[in-house]
Amino acid sequence: MALPEYFQFQDRTKVIYGQGTLSSVGEEAKLAGGAKALIVTDKIISKLGYAETVANSLRDAGIEVVMTYDDVPQDSSATMIQTLYEDVKKLGGADICVAIGGGSVLDTTKMVNLLLSEGGDLLDDHQGAYLQEKPLNPMVAIPTTAGTGSEVTFAAVIKDTEQHQKISFISPFFAPNTAILDPDVTLSMPPGITAGTGMDALTHAIEALHSATSEPVSDALALGAIRMINEFLPVAVKDGKNVEARGQMLIASTIAGIAFTNSMVGVVHAIAHSIGGIAGVPHGLANSLMLPWCMEFNLEYCTDKYAQSAYAMGVIPTGDPAADAETGIAKVRELISKTGLPTRLRDVGVTEEQFEDIAMTTMGDGSLFTNPRTVEDHIEIIELLKKAF
Amino acid sequence: MPIFNDTEHFYSVLVPFFNMLKDDPGIGPKIFSSGLVVQFIYSDPQAIITIDCPNKVIIQGEIDLKPTVSMSMSAKTAHKFWLGKLSIVIALTKREVIAKGPLPALMKLLPLIKDSYGMYAEYLKKIGMEDKITNWD
Ligand SMILES: [Fe+2]
Repeated sequence: MALPEYFQFQDRTKVIYGQGTLSSVGEEAKLAGGAKALIVTDKIISKLGYAETVANSLRDAGIEVVMTYDDVPQDSSATMIQTLYEDVKKLGGADICVAIGGGSVLDTTKMVNLLLSEGGDLLDDHQGAYLQEKPLNPMVAIPTTAGTGSEVTFAAVIKDTEQHQKISFISPFFAPNTAILDPDVTLSMPPGITAGTGMDALTHAIEALHSATSEPVSDALALGAIRMINEFLPVAVKDGKNVEARGQMLIASTIAGIAFTNSMVGVVHAIAHSIGGIAGVPHGLANSLMLPWCMEFNLEYCTDKYAQSAYAMGVIPTGDPAADAETGIAKVRELISKTGLPTRLRDVGVTEEQFEDIAMTTMGDGSLFTNPRTVEDHIEIIELLKKAF
Repeated sequence: MPIFNDTEHFYSVLVPFFNMLKDDPGIGPKIFSSGLVVQFIYSDPQAIITIDCPNKVIIQGEIDLKPTVSMSMSAKTAHKFWLGKLSIVIALTKREVIAKGPLPALMKLLPLIKDSYGMYAEYLKKIGMEDKITNWD
């Protein structure tokens, strides 16, 4: 495979794995450097008692807990984040943020941490790409789903409620300082969410691999993640209490996160962001619905990459990479069917009337830039939506 | 030899080019229909050019209007950008181009700008700067 003329790769996050590592959050927060903590989570995680475990661990390490915010919705808005920041500021501020939850909780926390570190208005002062010039206050992330990779990524995606659009913020300085991967906190995740978030992770790995800005380091990570997800996602969906499968999925999701935050994603994510914003389809499910169709769309432009992905999923090389790449796409479909996720847009509430809007919004998504095949116009997106309908 | 001698030289090359894009029937109306105020902030030499879509004008220098999106880059990076020789994604990660403001709006504009890459090279030929099409390092 040809080397890119230029690339850069970075990983800013210390990753810790182990059953029971949740209670080491206090020590880790202290190492990251913080005295006044904001804990961010959602109602479900709070009810399970994990936020309390985090608070106790922080206090044991001598860190003051300024506030535990447990009301993060599926998609946070800029208004909600701005309000939370103002509320914490009234309490004297926080110099470290600890997030425990899924992608939305982690992304929300990244943006609150940005405001607590730099001040200002989220939309007016911080929208853009790679704007941030220096490190923020430390942040510790504990993912409770295995998919978004947000615990290691440079990005935060929030919802613009007025525009029905997802907005992305990106800077390496948004990556948490520490990610704690404790499989125990993922054991109670229901099969549907396990499947959806797991397919998000697979999409990250495959899109990192096919990205126009892919490079050898992220390729190696992506292929490793694909292998793990192919083997362990069906197990984690079927047997949620299987710690081995949960652990493998958590790690695979983090690996895929490091890969795609460096090499970026493509048309699958561009469409998934729009479907999420317009039809409210959860992110992982939206990716899963579009992934095989988008791979077919890209096939001729990244045949070798899809062949490698196929081999990582157990396809035996036939000597014809193009044929193997196609078998690989069939393998992806097979994996989706094993997870039991819906496979048609019509089954998740997307209507044909929304196609135009979804396609136009997709054309404004930055992920399109790194797709291996240039999307010429929104008609091509509508064609893909029709296929997935 | 630098590409642009000074701010004045930069404006004398780029402002007519922006106006050329503005007057192109295939590009101008599409850009204006975005309704954005897009500001390009250049360094080495320093310059500012703003496309004010609501008022359909190209403005040289400082303005009071708050842009919707701004893109900061060196004049040399701008030159490479208009020649289509710049990977925008890599330029963003290297902070060679700093984009501020709502990105979806900007993303929709960039494909239009792509159509203009060939025009810039043609334009340079016409104004006697042909040597700068390939020789910008
Ligand atoms: Fe994703």
